[in-house]
Amino acid sequence: MLQYLVILLDDTSVSYCHYENPKKVKRLISLSDLKAGILFAMKQNLMIQFVYPDYEIPAEYQKEIETIDHHKIAPQKIQLKNADVVVFNSCKEFSTEKTEENKDKIFVLRANGKDVARNVSTFAHDGRLNIIITDIETFTENDFSLYKETLEQLKNTVKEIFLQENSPQVNLLTDRILLEKMNNCNAGIENITLAPNGKFYICPAFYLEDENDTVGNLTNCIDIKNKHLYKLSNAPICQKCDAYQCKRCVWLNRKTTREVNTPSHEQCVVAHLERNASRNLLLDLQQLGAWEDKSIKAIDYFDPFEVKDKF
Amino acid sequence: MEWKEGHAKSITFIVTKDCQLVCKYCYLVGKNISERMSFETAKQAIDYILSNKDLYSESSVIWDFIGGEPFLEIDLIDKICDYIKIQLYEKQHHWFNSYRFSFSTNGINYHEEKVQNFIRKNHNHLSIGITIDGTQTKHDLNRIYKSGKGSYDDVARNIPLWLQQFPHGGTKVTISSPDIPYIKESVLHLYSLGIKEVNINCVFEDVWQENDDLLFEEQLIQLADVIIDSEYYKEYACSFFTEFIGKPMDKVRENQNWCGAGMMLAVDAAGMFYPCTRFVQYSLRNKKTAIIGNVHEGINQNLLRPYLTLNRCTQSLQECIECEVASGCAWCQGENYDAAETNTIYQRATAICKMHKARVRTNNYYWNKLYRKLELEGQRENFEKKETSVIC
Repeated sequence: MLQYLVILLDDTSVSYCHYENPKKVKRLISLSDLKAGILFAMKQNLMIQFVYPDYEIPAEYQKEIETIDHHKIAPQKIQLKNADVVVFNSCKEFSTEKTEENKDKIFVLRANGKDVARNVSTFAHDGRLNIIITDIETFTENDFSLYKETLEQLKNTVKEIFLQENSPQVNLLTDRILLEKMNNCNAGIENITLAPNGKFYICPAFYLEDENDTVGNLTNCIDIKNKHLYKLSNAPICQKCDAYQCKRCVWLNRKTTREVNTPSHEQCVVAHLERNASRNLLLDLQQLGAWEDKSIKAIDYFDPFEVKDKF
Repeated sequence: MEWKEGHAKSITFIVTKDCQLVCKYCYLVGKNISERMSFETAKQAIDYILSNKDLYSESSVIWDFIGGEPFLEIDLIDKICDYIKIQLYEKQHHWFNSYRFSFSTNGINYHEEKVQNFIRKNHNHLSIGITIDGTQTKHDLNRIYKSGKGSYDDVARNIPLWLQQFPHGGTKVTISSPDIPYIKESVLHLYSLGIKEVNINCVFEDVWQENDDLLFEEQLIQLADVIIDSEYYKEYACSFFTEFIGKPMDKVRENQNWCGAGMMLAVDAAGMFYPCTRFVQYSLRNKKTAIIGNVHEGINQNLLRPYLTLNRCTQSLQECIECEVASGCAWCQGENYDAAETNTIYQRATAICKMHKARVRTNNYYWNKLYRKLELEGQRENFEKKETSVIC
């Protein structure tokens, strides 16, 4: 069931996930739609995540936002003091942040695979860091090899922080260790997006790709056709998979395979490289006496599609 | 029975989108005279397929030629088949001597010299089905020329020659709403022409009218009575009556997809690859074509993944998953896609539901009546042994 409502405050609201936001022209959500969205969330018992643009929004909007429990997702550029999630759009942006002062915030780093590979040694952050690789769909065999090396380096960095008796969380490595079942994005099932035009979308990426791809509005509410296809139980590959940290991005799925319930080969291999690196981290930490109750089994494939007949 | 029991790779060349006929139930909504395949395009497709043995590891292959009407392009087909044979030999391909050339034809120019020469040349590797819908009335109800004239006479005259060359030849009959009153007489008419295998099915499209299921049931009961009382069942087959349909299905053990879309491959005149011909634009009413590659760049394997992971439960409504007469209820992935509310192949079209249920009722009637007759005649055990041996 729905638990979260994402509200894009502006057409230029920052991307915090795989998609790019190509929009450059500001279009703020109308105050009436913002109020109606908040009222909708209150009635449906949804936690709101407000997504900020890179400019200061009007005072009356700020006042309205503070009328309900919520999370703020904001670009690093605007230095929003009470942001819950801070988004960096490159490794360069991330490297300038004073991470020690913001240990309580979630950092989202969006960067392509090569950028991450070049800068992985600078990722020593003792807090929550979500790394979003933005070019998964174009990965080649060489990129997979490079990503495997990147994850190995990241593993060593995380291990070092653990050795200093801290508790870092990096989505690509520590989530899989802690999870016991799939923890996907679940857009369309657990969360839905209200865009600046006052209409609902599966997620911000669906809005940015095609404004006509709406699933309802504030007047007539939400109507998702073939809603069951967003559920894990209707995803033939994913329902048997144990790369639990994978976001299972339905937008990326549709972009690469035309079906929201089917991931691409590249998505699966990347998720399994992360899974296996998580296993290596776990084995290393268990030698140090940590997380002895956890386990991730060894597997001999990178893409569950290739062993689908054995499931 | 299907060659290699359905385990062969099926590769379809859409050699033309032209046809002499404009059948009323034809799912090809975009037929035209301009899209004819060139030999160069066919050659590029064959080169790609035969050069990628790892993608096409099946032990056998069916090279299928369709249209429109494929025999309108018999010169091209002859050239393509020669090229395939030469390439299979030169590449020492595992399909060498394990291939079929398959045709579904309207039969109108079956007798022509070029077609007959082709048949003589490739006879041991040929499967040819001629579509004839039954009696002249039933056939001419749908299978008409552009002028409106029925095509029965031009097809029926070629049936003896066809059966002489392919004595086990079967025909495919398609049932739509207006055809229902003619089912019994049509099947019996085809038997009378010497056709011993009649493969018959209802269209998947949402064409059914109120009470069609009851009329359909009535026709099938009458047909069952004649087949049993006149003992046609000893030598003739009608695919409507199959013992193993109409049972509940296990969610795990019986979760396979019905349709072979994606396991098959189709290529059109523009050199585009499709998961089957039903995803080509001329077959689609509501949706955009679903191209999965082309002869220059090959197949985009990511676009094939949804087809190759489809199973029964992930595309079915709960009502279908739990249906007590689920087995034998068919679907066409292309029609599912075309009729779906979103651009997905994962929404099973259910327009055929009431017709399947009617078929199950008559099927139960057929087998109960037949087995009782055989029991009383002391023939049941022999018959069951024969049936089992066929199934295995």
